[in-house]
Amino acid sequence: MDLSLETRHEDGNTIIEVGGEIDVYTAPRLRDKITELVGEGHYNLVIDMEKVDFLDSTGLGVLVGGLKKVRAHDGSMRLICNQERLLKIFRITGLAKVFTIHGSQAEALAES
Amino acid sequence: MPSVSGRAADSVTVTIAHDPALVRTVRLVAASVARRTGLDEEFVEEVRLAAGEACALFLGEGAARNGTPHDLPVAVTITLGDFLSIDVSSPGLVNVEDHPDSDLEGMEAWALLRGMIEDFSVSQDASSTTVSMRWPLS
Repeated sequence: MDLSLETRHEDGNTIIEVGGEIDVYTAPRLRDKITELVGEGHYNLVIDMEKVDFLDSTGLGVLVGGLKKVRAHDGSMRLICNQERLLKIFRITGLAKVFTIHGSQAEALAES
Repeated sequence: MPSVSGRAADSVTVTIAHDPALVRTVRLVAASVARRTGLDEEFVEEVRLAAGEACALFLGEGAARNGTPHDLPVAVTITLGDFLSIDVSSPGLVNVEDHPDSDLEGMEAWALLRGMIEDFSVSQDASSTTVSMRWPLS
């Protein structure tokens, strides 16, 4: 399944709903989207990964890069992920401690 | 046909051009072979991820080759016997350690494989680099 990206703005947050596979081939598209949003002045990002089927280290790299970008503007990046197979990847790489990971959009937005 | 200690092994080799779009094909083949073990989907998912991850190390933007062309093919051999093993190789030398200036936006590209696979090794000779991963099936 290819990568799908849907973006909307809500209460000062920009929500990117990601679907499909984030891998070495598709991750540059997610990176470009994050770069575009930050360039437009959207510094509080919520990345909803509920519909992501696959994530590799290239995708993780893009997320880390995005986090650095928004932090440079005192912004934030929160992730939404409740799939154990993806959460395991964050734990293995130590990134579970780097990102704020929520179980749902409602939970992530409630914290803003 | 290659064999692995004791019983005949099935082996599949897929060679892909230097195109990240083709890594998905390798993942599909790896998952298909992994399912033949009869083990659970968590195992299948690990094998799928590992196969794609190893390819990405050769094909991704962060792949650093030491003085060799960047458009070389990658060969993936998946063998199912007493173990499930995956060997991913490509001509030329590839950096096999994460360096501060070669990481991918702060993510250490090798960290996931090293953290995920217990039986994991990288070998290099004058002409190629091979990443080998092995899972016991008993």
